Amino acid sequence: MTDTIPEPVTTPRGTRHVIDKLENFPYGDRRVVTIDGRSIGVLNVGGKFYALRNNCPHAGAPLCEGVVKGTMDDTPVHEYRYIRHNEFITCPWHGFEFELETGRSIVDPQKMRVRTYEVAVEDGDVVLYV
Amino acid sequence: MTTVEAPRSAELSDPKKTGIIDSDVHPNFVNGIRDLIPYMTETWRARLGVSSDDWAKGMAAAQFTLPLDYLYINSAGAYREDAARPGMPPATDPDFTARHLLDTHNIYRAVLIAGQCLGIGSMPDGMVAATIAQAYNEWMCERWLQNDKRWRGAICIAPQDPEAAVAEIDRMAKRDGIVAVFMPLGEILMGEKHYWPIYEACARHELPLMVHPSGTENVFAKAPKMAGTPTFYLEWHTALGQIHQSNTLSMICHGVFEKFPKLKYIIVEGGFMWALEVMWKLDRDWKGLRNEVPWLVKPPSEYLLNHIRFTTQPFIEPHDPKHLAPLMEMLHADQVLMFSSDYPHWDFDNPDRSLAPLSKELRHKIMVETPRAVYGDRID
Repeated sequence: MTDTIPEPVTTPRGTRHVIDKLENFPYGDRRVVTIDGRSIGVLNVGGKFYALRNNCPHAGAPLCEGVVKGTMDDTPVHEYRYIRHNEFITCPWHGFEFELETGRSIVDPQKMRVRTYEVAVEDGDVVLYV
Repeated sequence: MTTVEAPRSAELSDPKKTGIIDSDVHPNFVNGIRDLIPYMTETWRARLGVSSDDWAKGMAAAQFTLPLDYLYINSAGAYREDAARPGMPPATDPDFTARHLLDTHNIYRAVLIAGQCLGIGSMPDGMVAATIAQAYNEWMCERWLQNDKRWRGAICIAPQDPEAAVAEIDRMAKRDGIVAVFMPLGEILMGEKHYWPIYEACARHELPLMVHPSGTENVFAKAPKMAGTPTFYLEWHTALGQIHQSNTLSMICHGVFEKFPKLKYIIVEGGFMWALEVMWKLDRDWKGLRNEVPWLVKPPSEYLLNHIRFTTQPFIEPHDPKHLAPLMEMLHADQVLMFSSDYPHWDFDNPDRSLAPLSKELRHKIMVETPRAVYGDRID
């Protein structure tokens, strides 16, 4: 399968790190690895993999230990609407929410953001590119 | 010989550009609630027993007083001694008050707030409070607003009965001299839906909503709550910011200013430096807790800065005067502060003195520009 998908030439993939066999990395599981002194979390959210720096830009908390969930939409006063289930990770300390896909926070997406990394499944391995 | 310098340009003497606006003056009754009897219907006079020949009812009526700060005895007298004349309690005579306050300090417009009705929000019967508020409004219009064009008035309402309050706002809003709505405070925090009809009416008429301490705090069961009941006047007077912090937080978090984007809210004599910590802490916590209040689409401090104004009296006196300027900058004083004197009370702020340490530009914002923006054309 992987042979048939061409490498995107525009994406610098960085150094290849095998995290684990896919069969050992079930839905909802997450690993925190240290690569070149950087703590990085790799998360399996319902079969979709994300990787991001395990360091909240707000106050340095271990971000990847936070809860993965959706968020509340902007709604009229006294109304709630829960949206985008499992697209965000919530910092375990102060509750800031970051979009898993982009690393951008909800409250300040331009300035408050966390570095994300590419994760791929290759020949049954979960692979992180740093 | 003293020479008086002539204004350098027409602009300097245009009161619309330079006239001082005082946002807190208290007109008083001479004979307490009995001054309001002529402004009540016969039915309500009978209901309150205030015009009855019946001995028992008359006895009760003679002792009928409005809830106020009678239980805190101010050792400095609560009133400016020089505001009283023999047989004339302070701020009971509109002519003398105009000379004593407006002429002396060259005040262009002064907003009258409630007199002895400051505490009617803690009365148990909202219908009684609404009747008193209505009578007060008529009394204020007839005795004060029609007496001198420099007086402006805040419509007094009863917060216990929002339906009656809205009817009173609708009835009074277009009267000459009306520039605001004064809401005596009660036990329910101000963000709650209970008050929303009142906010809708204020926003619809573009009348700012004012609040003010009363001395009923934590003394009467339906009065606003403090953290305990202070023993001393000094203690009570210094702690009043508690109530305004709670109400400010309640209004912002309930999304009152999202729901009513035209609402302006003036905290009179409630302090203002506490607003700094409220803004900073709200913004910080909102970043992590916004799911609880997702209708707040801006950092909460923006609602405060855009919708809430604070009157200056009693103005702060930092131990080191050089701290005043940075504090004013942090508070966005050029945007949120409005001058007030609190005449005729003991802790009166003189417009010539109390704000003197501030820059000329900032004083102009506080005494002229910001209040003009809040009250709009009705002030002229």
